Amino acid sequence: MDTAVFRLDGVTKRYGELVALDNATLEAGANEYISFLGPSGSGKTTLLRVIAGFEAPEAGRVHFQGRDITNVPAHERGIGFVFQNFALFPHLSVIQNVGFGLTHGKSGLTPAQVEQRALEMIELVGLSGMEGRGVDQISGGQRQRVALARTLTMQPKLVLLDEPLGALDANLRGRMRNELRAIRERLGVTFVHVTGSETEALAMGDRVVVLDRGRIIQIGAPGQVYDHPASPDVAHYLNRFNLFDGKLNAGIFTGAFGAVPVPAAVKGDRDVYAVRYDRMQAVPVGTATAGPSLRATFIASEYLGSAVMNFFDAGDGHVIEMEHHLSLGAPQEFEPRQDYLLTWNPEQAIVFGREVR
Amino acid sequence: MSSTPSIQKRQSNTTRWLLAPGIIWMCLFLVLPILMIVYVSFWTQTTFNISSDPTLASWKQFFSSDTYTGALWTTVRIWLIVLTTTFIVGYPTALFVGLFIKSKTLSTILLVVCVIPFWTSFLIRVLAWRPMLGKEGAINIVLMKVGIIQQPIEVLLFTELSVIIGMTQIYCVFMVGPIAFMLGRIDRNIIEAARDLGASFGRIFWKIIFPLSLPGVIVGAIFVSVMVLGEFATSGALSGRKVNLLGNIIVTQVGSLKWAMASVVGVILTVVMGIVIAGFLRIVDLKREL
Repeated sequence: MDTAVFRLDGVTKRYGELVALDNATLEAGANEYISFLGPSGSGKTTLLRVIAGFEAPEAGRVHFQGRDITNVPAHERGIGFVFQNFALFPHLSVIQNVGFGLTHGKSGLTPAQVEQRALEMIELVGLSGMEGRGVDQISGGQRQRVALARTLTMQPKLVLLDEPLGALDANLRGRMRNELRAIRERLGVTFVHVTGSETEALAMGDRVVVLDRGRIIQIGAPGQVYDHPASPDVAHYLNRFNLFDGKLNAGIFTGAFGAVPVPAAVKGDRDVYAVRYDRMQAVPVGTATAGPSLRATFIASEYLGSAVMNFFDAGDGHVIEMEHHLSLGAPQEFEPRQDYLLTWNPEQAIVFGREVR
Repeated sequence: MSSTPSIQKRQSNTTRWLLAPGIIWMCLFLVLPILMIVYVSFWTQTTFNISSDPTLASWKQFFSSDTYTGALWTTVRIWLIVLTTTFIVGYPTALFVGLFIKSKTLSTILLVVCVIPFWTSFLIRVLAWRPMLGKEGAINIVLMKVGIIQQPIEVLLFTELSVIIGMTQIYCVFMVGPIAFMLGRIDRNIIEAARDLGASFGRIFWKIIFPLSLPGVIVGAIFVSVMVLGEFATSGALSGRKVNLLGNIIVTQVGSLKWAMASVVGVILTVVMGIVIAGFLRIVDLKREL
C-alpha cells in the first residue's frame, strides 16, 4: 500500500543551460507539513511549480495519490497552490474570490451550495463578516487568509504555498505561522511550504527539505536537520553555524584556530569545521582555554530580546557570530576593537571531511 | 501662533497662481467660444447677412430638414459601427500585445509599430486608401488577377463602407493602446491561479481578463468616439461627398458663411459628445481603476 500523498522520482528541470532541478527525489506522507528551505535560485519554487503542474519536468515522474500525474494539467491535479503575492482577483469580493473555483470550475454545485461552502471556508480562516468586502479593502494578513481559503474550498489533498509569509510584516508572520499550522491540522491535508527563512522552515515543518543549486541536499525533521546538518551547505543555510575552512587529515582538523583532534566527522564535499553560534564563548586574551581557541576582534553586538548576538572579526574579514541567551544570565560586556579569545567545546563541533567513509 | 494661518494663506496663494494660467486659458479659448456658439445659433441669418436678433429659425430648420437630421443619424450610425469595428480589430490585437507577449520590450516595440502610420500626415493616410480601394485599385486588381472576381467591386470606394474602413484603420490604435496598457498590468499569477482553480480559458477571459481590461476599453472608446463624432475629413475624402456627417455640415455651412446654422450643428455635436462621454464614464469608475 502506497501511503505517500506525493512522490517525486528523479525530477529534472532545465532553463536553457541552467539546471533548476537536478534529479530531485522526494516522498511526502498524508497529513504532513513539509517546508522547502533554500536560498533564492536553489530551485525550491521551481520544484513547487513542477508539483503544481505549472512547469513540466524534462525528466522524472511526479506521482500523486498513487497516480502518475507528470502529464496531467495543473487544474486536473487536485493540488492547491497559494501564490507568493496571493494573486487574488482584484475586482471580486472576498466571497467571490473564495468561491471562484467552485463557481467557474467543474464542481457542479448550485450557487447556494457554493455560497455555503465558501462561507464555511471563510469562517475557518477567521474572516467571518468580511465576505462582502473587496480584496483591496482588507489588510495583508486577511488577504493571505483569502488566498488560502480560495485554495482550500477546492478540497485539495495537497496544498502548495510559495513563500506565503514573505509579503507580511514580521509581527503578522509570527501569527500566521501558528494559524497556518492550526488550519492544516483541522483539515488533515498535506502542506508544502516554500521559504527562504530558516526559522520559518524549522518552526513550521514536520519535515524540512533543504535545497541547493537544484539538488535536495537534506531531508529530515527540524531537530535532526538543526543538530546534524548533512553538509557544510546545509549548515550554512541554517544560518546558525560559524564555518571554518581547513584540512581534515587522520582525525586532526587543521584550520585558522590550529590543529584540533576530531573524534567523529561527517562525510562532506569539502573539509569544514562548524560550531553553533550559541556554543561559542569569548574570554580575555591570555586566559587558558580547555578547547581550541581563536583570536578575534570584537566588532559589535545586537540585542534580540531573548538573546544578544556578538560579532567578531577573525582577521581575514571572516565574521564570527556568538549568541548569548539572556536566560543564561546577563551578557558579557565587550570593548569595541579589543581582541578576545573565542573558544568552544570541540565535542559540540560538527566536522565535515572528504576523507570520511 | 501667527505662523499657521500665514502658511495656509501662502499655500492658498500658491494654489491660486498655479491654477490661474489654466483657468484663464480655458475660459478664453473654451468656455467663452462655446457660449458664443450657443449665442450665435440663435442669431438671424439672411442670405448675405447675419444679425444678432434672436430667433429659433436655424434650430427649426435643422430639425425640419431631412438633410440635417439625416446627417445626425449618419454620424451616430458611423460612430457606433466604427466603435464596434475598432473594438473587434483592436481587442484581440491588444490581447496579443499586452497579455500573450511575455517580454515587456517586445510588447512596447509592437505598440510603437502600431503608431508608425501616424508618422505621416492625416490626409495622406486617408487619401492612401483611394488607390487601395478604387475601381482600379490594388484590392480589385489583385482579386481579379487571382480570379476570385470577374468584375471590379465598386462598393469599395466612395461609399459608407470605404469611410468605415478608413476610420477603423486610423482610429484602431487609440483602442489598442489603452486596452494593451490595462492588460499588461494584470498579474500573470492571477490567471495561473484561476486556471489552477479549474476555470476554462473562456471563463478566465470573461470573468477575469475582460473585467480587468474594461477601464482600458472605456478609455479607448472615449478616444475613438470623440474623434469619430467630430470627423469630416475621412468622410469627405473617401465617400465622394455621399456620406455627410455633422462635421461635414459644419464645414460647408462655414464655407458659405452660414454661421447660425454652423453654430446649431456645433451645439448639437457638443451635446452628443457630452452624452456619449458621460455614458462611458458611468460604466467604469476610472478614478478607482487607473
